Amino acid sequence: MLTRINIGPVHPSTHGVLRLVVDLDGDTIVNVEPHVGFLHRGVEKLAENRMYMQIPVYMEKMDYVAPMSVNEAYVATVEEALGVEVKERAKYIRVILLELQRIASHLLWLGTMCNDIGQMFTAFMWTFRDRDMALRLLEEATGQRMFYVNMRLGGLVRDLPPDFAEQAATFLDYMERRLHEYESLLEKNPLFIERTKNVGTLSRSDAKALGVTGPVLRASGILYDIRKNKPYYAYEKLNFQAKMLGRGDNFSRYRVRMLEMYESIRLVREGLERLPEGDALGMPVRLIIPNAKNRIAAVSREMPRGEALMYMVADPQRPYRLAMRTPAFINLAALNFLAKGQRLADLFAILGSLDLVMADVDR
Amino acid sequence: MSIDSIIEAGITSPNSLVSLLFIIIYAVMILVIMSAFAYLFGWIERKVIAKSQYRHGPTYLGKYGLLQNMADLIKLISKEKVTPANAEKLLFSAMPQLLVAMTIFAILIIPFTPNIAVTNIGIGLLALFVLIAFSPIVLFLAGFASGNKFADISAQRSVLMLIGYELPVMIVIASIVVAANSYNLHSIVLQQSKEYFALLMPLGLFVFFVAMLAELERSPFDLREADSELIAGWLTDVSPPYYALALFIDYTRMFMGSLLIAVLFFGGWLGPLMPPILWLLAKAFIISLIIIVIRVSVVRMRIDRILRFGWFWLIPLSLINLVITYVIVR
Repeated sequence: MLTRINIGPVHPSTHGVLRLVVDLDGDTIVNVEPHVGFLHRGVEKLAENRMYMQIPVYMEKMDYVAPMSVNEAYVATVEEALGVEVKERAKYIRVILLELQRIASHLLWLGTMCNDIGQMFTAFMWTFRDRDMALRLLEEATGQRMFYVNMRLGGLVRDLPPDFAEQAATFLDYMERRLHEYESLLEKNPLFIERTKNVGTLSRSDAKALGVTGPVLRASGILYDIRKNKPYYAYEKLNFQAKMLGRGDNFSRYRVRMLEMYESIRLVREGLERLPEGDALGMPVRLIIPNAKNRIAAVSREMPRGEALMYMVADPQRPYRLAMRTPAFINLAALNFLAKGQRLADLFAILGSLDLVMADVDR
Repeated sequence: MSIDSIIEAGITSPNSLVSLLFIIIYAVMILVIMSAFAYLFGWIERKVIAKSQYRHGPTYLGKYGLLQNMADLIKLISKEKVTPANAEKLLFSAMPQLLVAMTIFAILIIPFTPNIAVTNIGIGLLALFVLIAFSPIVLFLAGFASGNKFADISAQRSVLMLIGYELPVMIVIASIVVAANSYNLHSIVLQQSKEYFALLMPLGLFVFFVAMLAELERSPFDLREADSELIAGWLTDVSPPYYALALFIDYTRMFMGSLLIAVLFFGGWLGPLMPPILWLLAKAFIISLIIIVIRVSVVRMRIDRILRFGWFWLIPLSLINLVITYVIVR
């Protein structure tokens, strides 16, 4: 006999307002039906009624765990539409900030993942403390802790502060030590391994068919990283690897994100080392309107959660149409596939491993 | 004449009315000790967890936040009591009280000092085992009666855990009986004056400790109220006063469990200088601290895995322990 239970939209571990209707046979999942849209704000429509540089404020709320990456993807789309060239120094600074943002985002994921498989908030508190250090660094660079709005066409609102390199070096050393600590805490813990290994396995072909991107795809053995495949900014000049693992289970997804954090640390270090001299400031907001040419732009970016694609039809004053493909929405679609036949307890482990941000799903 | 010998004299008096009166006095004393432990333990648990998570824990009310739990208790009790419409009213409201009574009864049997006679009954260990084994059934009924689907799942899990964990506990208790040659808790404690049973049977201690964690719903076996899946398990649909009672039960059962481990494996009241009751409480306190530290640091186990662990590891280990104990003792 099947039991149908309703999980959410108010539930401790649905990462926001996600509602799941789950059919259970005893403790085994037969079917999961996600209901989304509780956080729908209509960002795409809102964008049609705003000037170009008013929109980043709305965009950042789309992914409140890694706002910088959405902001950057939008600004890059406008740059492409209007044909603005990004300054050389700004290219490096953007990479540095984006990678710091990636570290912060993955740290939050690690903490909530441990929570979802039943840890008493310990890892959550630890990673939040470390994430806060990354946020403090971003605050030094941008003036804001959470919603930065620091990109302008062709550059940034302001250059990095003079002592940023030393602060970043201290943080990166600390972060590397901490990552080793997390690894030794989690990967030698039989209970953690048991809850993650061979749980929610996504095979190579299924991953391709479902269209998942980002760490979820790379954990299933497909090396697809926009930073490598279609390099932008300084990524082509910097030395880093896109990480891939083959097993496709929760543990691989955890490992891929850990490896990515190491790579991000490497990228920030190298970017700071090779940071060119010069000017990084973007165009003042008022100057951009008359230059707008009417053309179509599409930009894809590797966000911490996966590939984001922004598609824009530009008008002289404002976007005529803005459409987005966001990673979390597509990754959520894999949930039913992954959770079928698993235990109820693993539903949240799988949900956690997909790294969802509901604002990103609902837009 | 110390207070425990007065109580003993009262309980063993030929007049049955006087005897009953003294038993009730003793039960009230136990209740006070139990409540004090539950209160302090709640505070210590919050502080230890907070420290291990780089937080401060309660600091605002009273010295070191000692009054915070009192404030929480007042808040919980002063709220409205609502019984869910789907609930089986009688079962739902009677089960927590039954559980409190069972816990007090179990603690009454545990010997706090060498003198108290109510505890000096021949079948003490068996009675304790029955009381421990019965509590998951009470929790099952409470969860089942609340009429909530999450509570229902948690009730099913509690029965599954009963299947996985009662057998190893029973076998370990058998090996204790082999070692002490008695079911009487007094003789078990006195038997340990030469050597604690923790040294005699470390395997048995391990199995019993793990099974006790499962019994008391502590991490990593807190499946009944797994907050990331079942919201609060059998407590999902309860009103605040009921929840306060459930928290109280949680802490008192914790007290019972750590007392039991102290008595069966660490020599109960035995120890130099300090009065016997303080020795027992100190041992129980250290054991409960260990349980908190485990709670902070592990992730929750899955139900199918717990059963496998119980049947494939704990039962063989406890059998090996029984054989080893038999060989050493005879």
